[in-house]
Amino acid sequence: MRLARAYIRGLWDGRMILGYTLLLSLTLFIVAPFLMIALRSVGKGWFYRLWLPPQLTLDWYRWAVEVGNIPEVMKNTLIIGIIATAISTVIGIFAGWAFGRRQMPGKEVAMAIVLLPRMIPPITYALGVAKIFYTLELVDTYLGVALAHVSVCAPYAILVLSATFEGLDERVLEAAGVCGANTIKRFFYVVLPLIMPGILASMIFTFTHSYNEFTLTLLTYGPHTVTLPVRTYLAVGDGYWEITSAMAVIMVVPSLVILALIQRRAEPEKLVGGFKGV
Amino acid sequence: MTDAMIEFRDVSKRYGSLVANDHLTLRIRRGELMTLLGPSGCGKTTALRCLTGYIRPDEGRILLDGKDVTDVPTHQRELGMVFQNFALFPHLTVQDNVGFPLMIRNLPKDQRARMVTDALRLVRLEGFESHYPRQLSGGQQQRVGLARALVYRPKVLLLDEPLSNLDAKLREEMRFEIKELVTRLGITAVYVTHDQAEALALSDRVAIMHRGRLEQVGTPEEIYEQPQSRFVAEFIGLSNFLEGRIEAVDGASMRVTVGDLRLTAPALPHTGPGQRVLLFVRPNEIELLGPDEPAGENVFEAQVEKATYLGDSMDYRLTFGQGLALRVQGDAQRRLSPGAPVRLRLPRIRCWAITAG
Repeated sequence: MRLARAYIRGLWDGRMILGYTLLLSLTLFIVAPFLMIALRSVGKGWFYRLWLPPQLTLDWYRWAVEVGNIPEVMKNTLIIGIIATAISTVIGIFAGWAFGRRQMPGKEVAMAIVLLPRMIPPITYALGVAKIFYTLELVDTYLGVALAHVSVCAPYAILVLSATFEGLDERVLEAAGVCGANTIKRFFYVVLPLIMPGILASMIFTFTHSYNEFTLTLLTYGPHTVTLPVRTYLAVGDGYWEITSAMAVIMVVPSLVILALIQRRAEPEKLVGGFKGV
Repeated sequence: MTDAMIEFRDVSKRYGSLVANDHLTLRIRRGELMTLLGPSGCGKTTALRCLTGYIRPDEGRILLDGKDVTDVPTHQRELGMVFQNFALFPHLTVQDNVGFPLMIRNLPKDQRARMVTDALRLVRLEGFESHYPRQLSGGQQQRVGLARALVYRPKVLLLDEPLSNLDAKLREEMRFEIKELVTRLGITAVYVTHDQAEALALSDRVAIMHRGRLEQVGTPEEIYEQPQSRFVAEFIGLSNFLEGRIEAVDGASMRVTVGDLRLTAPALPHTGPGQRVLLFVRPNEIELLGPDEPAGENVFEAQVEKATYLGDSMDYRLTFGQGLALRVQGDAQRRLSPGAPVRLRLPRIRCWAITAG
């Protein structure tokens, strides 16, 4: 009996060890590449089979800023991200309201069409976009690149905001009406505060997506609209791994800031579903 | 000046082929608590929403305090309403929820605070001002809803199944509280429910609706004791129906043949022999007699078919005559088992008749 119990405990411990090992390797799998990049961006003379760089330096960051023109590129990326987010959010609010609150024929088909840019391979889609944008002279403009981003960002906004509007309780709006609020007051005092979490979530999603967007940018950018992912990619082609690593690290920073904000500020269920019922 | 606070005049509302309100005409008196009672889909909620202005009737007019409000938008109708799912503003505190109608009306801040305090005292919810709805229990949330509806002293209070989302014990408690509050404030109230016990307990008058039409309007006593149709009788909890034909009318009573049996019942005005009638008898008003009691008026031999123990009483299904069946409530102290013969009496004055077909 005691032996059996010991055996079971042993099995249990074994399982724990196995679990931790898996967890650790998973963490390493996620963290290791990032760790490598971070190390490489500050390492000097790190060749051959050395496990750690022999010397630490911030030179690569200076190079990235001066030669890679990172501040300018960062500015481009942020401006394009903000334009794309603004347009997507406006589209998302109207479309989300229609999808979430209205009964209309062909709703499923309309939703499928909205999601189409997300379904087909980005490069295929991007080629088509590029062709149109050359004709419209939208290539190498902030608006042009941002519009290209909207095609993949807006579906996110629409999805998130549809769910938000769907979660709005019709009865609460009715209650506001009975309480004496006209349409405008209803919108500002009730609807807007209730969909705000959804709008924020949608903005975070779309901004990150635009910020990280590569394929669509690659086919619509020009000398004035280089974004961080494209700049980093070009640097890889130039063969300067250390500078590329520095750029990659710089690129990660805003994402981490946003992630921290989400973690601290918002409860995830609020972000996606809005408030629901009682 | 009319004594009607609310008036539905020939109101109809259709959704495609579905008729939600079919020429509804109803006057609700000043200070009265009127219940719209009916099963789901009977049109009671549509009627209420026509009253709030959330739905515009296809035909007919709606009058509030003598004024035609059919085309007045919801926010100008000056109503108070309590919702089944409470419909509180989740992003506002109790204080701001209750103060919402006052804020919309641009009342000065100090007056607002005073009125909110009064309203919260009215529903016994002082001390919860800074709570959010999600921090409150269902009963507390409904009190907030009630305070929000009453805070600006509307002429009319509408209650849309306000107790359906609460548990049974709380429901009974709140029922009396609402009744007491409405009486004390002297406010005109329209209460929508599908719960007949609730309707009987708190209404001044009850309007029973069925398929968009009014079946019967009357005091709880009238509805309970003198149902005018089979639907009303069934909805209000009757379950024994006997179809028969009047054989003879003799002053205040009449003889009715039901199958091969003869019953005596109170006479039905404007009827004569040959008229087909429907008799209702409540399960708890049928008397079960001992075997040695003498035969007499409306006494029949029956047999127990099914017996169910209900704790405080026994529920029997009895068969008698030619294929007739009755549900009867009996004393839990004296139990009869299936197959046992029994003698029953249908007290004459408890046999309520209406004309049939």
